[in-house]
Amino acid sequence: MKKEDTVKLISAEGFEFVIDKEAAMVSQTIRNMLTSPGSFAEREHGEVTFPEISTTILEKICQYFYWSLQYASLHWHETNLIMIKESRFTYSSSLALASKSRGKETDFHIEPELTLELMMAANYLHT
Amino acid sequence: MAMYIRVKHSKTTYFIQCEPTETILEIKQKLHNLIDQPANDQRLILVGTGEVLDDSKTLADQKVENDAVVALTLRKEDNEFEDINIVRPDDFYQSREGDSGNW
Repeated sequence: MKKEDTVKLISAEGFEFVIDKEAAMVSQTIRNMLTSPGSFAEREHGEVTFPEISTTILEKICQYFYWSLQYASLHWHETNLIMIKESRFTYSSSLALASKSRGKETDFHIEPELTLELMMAANYLHT
Repeated sequence: MAMYIRVKHSKTTYFIQCEPTETILEIKQKLHNLIDQPANDQRLILVGTGEVLDDSKTLADQKVENDAVVALTLRKEDNEFEDINIVRPDDFYQSREGDSGNW
């Protein structure tokens, strides 16, 4: 694990999450920031600040990135976080994304109170 | 990737990819690459149980599971280790309270 292979995501409150670039790339938005030609400051410093994403949500998103690396099958896009848009989250007391190929233990748990903010962040991040 | 752990210090969280068979020393060496503090100056504590993790044992030996939160403390100038220092975000619940005030 090298420092160059990691990226630092910074929340609205200034909390920092250091994650593997590979994990961050699960987000199409972050992938674009880190790989597009031109002088994105993000790419040069390996830091991305999200003034509109709170710490709790950003941590959940990082957990999702790793969950996605761990369990996502070839059809990983079918388990995208953005899919929670289609779930009736007000009806369910808890919500989980399940990877198709594995059993229940691989569910990605989402606390109901986080759902709305998480959905907005997932939309923004193309995740 | 078999698993990851969340290593927390102050306002920073490091997501570290690892295997259950890795020793704590190997985890500290990975952290060394990120924080410029040698393994010898790091102490890792499993937050769930408060147990100080032993360099020579593996993650599995000490029941450190996927997504576990581990506190990182660093050696101070007087050679002692600092106390656990993890700042918790209160953003979410604060924002909820703020919302309810607007109703």
